Amino acid sequence: MLQEKLQEVFNEPGCSTNQAKSEKERKKGCSKALKPGAAAGGCAYDGAMIALQPIADAAHLVHGPIACLGNSWDNRGTKSSGAQLYRTGFTTDMSELDIIHGGEKKLYKAIKEVIQQYDPPAVFVYQTCVPAMIGDDVEAVCKFAAKKLGKPVIPVMAPGFVGSKNLGNKLAGETLLDHVIGTVEPEHTTPTDICIVGEYNLAGELWLVKPLLEEIGIRLLSCISGDGRYNEVAMAHRARLTMVVCSQALVNVGRKMQERWGIPYFEGSFYGVSDMSDTLRTMTRMLVERGADTAIIDRAESVIAREESRVWRRLEPYKPRFEGKRVLLFTGGVKSWSMVSALEGAGLTIVGTSTKKSTTEDKDRIKKMKGEEFHQWDDLKPKDIYKMLRESEADILMSGGRSQFIALKAKVPWLDLNQERHTAFAGYDGIVNLCEEIDKTLSNPIWRQVRLPAPWDTKSGEV
Amino acid sequence: MSHPVSQSADKVIDHFTLFRQPEYQDLFERKKKEFEYGHSDEEVARVSEWTKSEEYKAKNFAREAIVINPTKACQPIGAMFAAQGFEGTLPFVHGSQGCVAYYRTHLTRHFKEPNSAVSSSMTEDAAVFGGLNNMIDGLANAYSLYKPKMIAVLTTCMAEVIGDDLQGFIQNAKNKESVPADFPVPFAHTPAFVGSHIVGYDNMIKGILTHFWGTSENFDTPKNETINLIPGFDGYAVGNNRELKRIAGLFGIDMTILSDVSDNFDTPADGEYRMYDGGTTLEATKAAVHAKATISMQEYNTPQTLQFIKEKGQDVAKFNYPLGVAATDELLLKLSELSGKAVPAELKLERGRLVDAIADSHTHLHGKRFAVYGDPDFCLGMSKFLMELGAEPVHILSTSGSKKWEKQVQKTLDASPFGKSGKAYGGKDLWHLRSLIFTDKVDYIIGNSYGKYLERDTKVPLIRLTYPIFDRHHHHRYPTWGYQGALNVLVRILDRIFEDMDATTNEVGKTDYSFDLVR
Repeated sequence: MLQEKLQEVFNEPGCSTNQAKSEKERKKGCSKALKPGAAAGGCAYDGAMIALQPIADAAHLVHGPIACLGNSWDNRGTKSSGAQLYRTGFTTDMSELDIIHGGEKKLYKAIKEVIQQYDPPAVFVYQTCVPAMIGDDVEAVCKFAAKKLGKPVIPVMAPGFVGSKNLGNKLAGETLLDHVIGTVEPEHTTPTDICIVGEYNLAGELWLVKPLLEEIGIRLLSCISGDGRYNEVAMAHRARLTMVVCSQALVNVGRKMQERWGIPYFEGSFYGVSDMSDTLRTMTRMLVERGADTAIIDRAESVIAREESRVWRRLEPYKPRFEGKRVLLFTGGVKSWSMVSALEGAGLTIVGTSTKKSTTEDKDRIKKMKGEEFHQWDDLKPKDIYKMLRESEADILMSGGRSQFIALKAKVPWLDLNQERHTAFAGYDGIVNLCEEIDKTLSNPIWRQVRLPAPWDTKSGEV
Repeated sequence: MSHPVSQSADKVIDHFTLFRQPEYQDLFERKKKEFEYGHSDEEVARVSEWTKSEEYKAKNFAREAIVINPTKACQPIGAMFAAQGFEGTLPFVHGSQGCVAYYRTHLTRHFKEPNSAVSSSMTEDAAVFGGLNNMIDGLANAYSLYKPKMIAVLTTCMAEVIGDDLQGFIQNAKNKESVPADFPVPFAHTPAFVGSHIVGYDNMIKGILTHFWGTSENFDTPKNETINLIPGFDGYAVGNNRELKRIAGLFGIDMTILSDVSDNFDTPADGEYRMYDGGTTLEATKAAVHAKATISMQEYNTPQTLQFIKEKGQDVAKFNYPLGVAATDELLLKLSELSGKAVPAELKLERGRLVDAIADSHTHLHGKRFAVYGDPDFCLGMSKFLMELGAEPVHILSTSGSKKWEKQVQKTLDASPFGKSGKAYGGKDLWHLRSLIFTDKVDYIIGNSYGKYLERDTKVPLIRLTYPIFDRHHHHRYPTWGYQGALNVLVRILDRIFEDMDATTNEVGKTDYSFDLVR
């Protein structure tokens, strides 16, 4: 079962990286084999959890030993405007005896106890390495539990060992397609209902975009999965259009929704001014193509005109401050392309970017914009990042949490761009937020202190 | 045209304030109505009240299968932490790669420092055919990429379920020249489905000592005057280990801390990137077999290790996260007894100052009721200190706590009149604690960052004093052990009490008759 699913995900025709591959390469799968003994990122379970956990009113139950949940519960800054159940950690905490006797009975009991205590609209059950290896049939237990307890109980079949975090994202998407989307009908629909896939509302990013959609007259029927509610995800199949954010991770959801329910999709981004405007334009154009009132196009244009002039006006004060400042972008990669264009717009110079998770298309775009000379790395060791920073090739590093300290040790300012950030960077407001953060980071006096030698190390300091 | 969102053009406001604006509140309200299909506010309030009742508590405690908000982590993270306290040591986790990402992030979020560890990146194939090749390639890669002085191998569940034999694998890898034959590669089996991070800590320390000291019992190992000390898994390790070294220095004791992470988790921003920093030198680790005694600061972190050390003919002494006056007295007396050196004058003065400080503030602490949760040793040490202050530990809860631990806590409680309302709860989680606090109210909660939800729900102020602390910065840099450490803990508790006092007396014209300048 899982093997078939994996092959299917690897064969994803909607994925541009995949399209560029030969038949033989495609069979090998889309996650690169990891190099044993080298530092590596999260696992498939982690990826699946991250993609689904923002569904805030559901219970997320981890079937496995304490490892998978004990080190990770409530570890995401994804926000919910209402239900908070997603912050609670549920696990079967499998012990040695469970492994010897099998964990299925315990799992059923655990599902029952969660439903008794919290009465959530649904329970997501996460398969992990150990029960997968001993052969716990999580799908069967979930099916049985759903029937017996009268609630959706959804098996998320992405044990860590099947691959990377990115693969886990995809498997989470498959889970929604197989068990959730299409199971609830909305009370009413409108010709401008949309579904956004791959937006997690980190630090409230979705909320920087949503009011603009409403102003244009677009109704966000369903978001997968930021500020998500189980029922809204379940009714995503009634959307008129799907937008897939974060190009690689959940493109399978967009494509299959098109296949099954005829909902067209496009890949867009909320990061960066031009990308944001493009997204709004594409959204309204495609909705109109499906029969929505053409007035939304005009409204979108007026929103874009107003917001763009506003945002550039607001970025103006940063320009002189940013002049000549060089940025090294080291993110997971998906955000690279859109960030590069936005930051250049604010007057910064981007000296290089990582493209580990970027598609070939993204890489080409960057190449086109920045020329062949521009640094693009698939992977960089901490030591190499450090070396680059030390050799003053950049004034600021923008990256995920794990490389933060390399920058600090290299005496170079650092800005958090990844999942743990506390500021929203999406939409027009988000770019202003981002520039504000960059400015604060670049101009904080500690960086001067950090770079200067201690007084006793200089001539004037000698007594 | 007016802008629909309240983010102003001139001043960028943060998410705390932005999403409180009426436009957003309206947006949230509509979302709730259209998509949440929730129960009515009255029903929610009713059930919420019910979850505070005795009836709900009975149901909650009848849970058999589900663990909700556990206060424990897994063996490997404990083992990794232990390994990181040795000079130039790279923890190598044999198993699937995702686990390591979790451990590293978890430690980084607490210490605000990078930490290095690698994995053998086992996949499904390895699960079927065994992970030998991953070990061979992995050790070779780790050795050449990260140039460690020692690689400490531990396991995730995956390798344990298929039963990979670490000793054989490592030998195999050495035969294939993954690492030089004499390169130290100690190991520990650390299945996450047995015990918790404290057991993993024990396994790894024992693994490393076994590597350097040999497996055989040898009660006649020649002894010298040094004393070993094992701190255990401790979120305050940076401050505490340095304090312990200072105390040993004052005594004039030649002390070896076995697994000293204090420098590794606190590297200076001076422009030098240290992948590994400080730690117990391999030389000292080797020599530590000749120490006359070993002290464990956390009994439940070291049962196997101490047994092993005993078999090498050393005296052993164990403590339970000693906090406060009496507990520090015991520690110093033990150091004095083992070394034959008198307690230094400096420390005697510090003791007097600590006692003075407690005497100055005791009225604010007397009779105050506390819930304490965390690792077994921390709970014991904290409860003891509270009773010393005249405060009452009421609910003492540890997900890693055993029946034996419960008995030990009870014994500690029985020894003081301030322990009469206390009870220990081993193997329970934070959702149990929620019920306990609602049905038997306390004044303060002592725990870690995860307690913030308890604080929100129960309105009982939280004092963060144990790992992990993600949402406050730098506390781990201050010691909690020794008299100085006890003073820090005292101040943290008092600060929270006073803040709470101010917060509940600051309503103008209503409660501010008690909003006093002098407390």
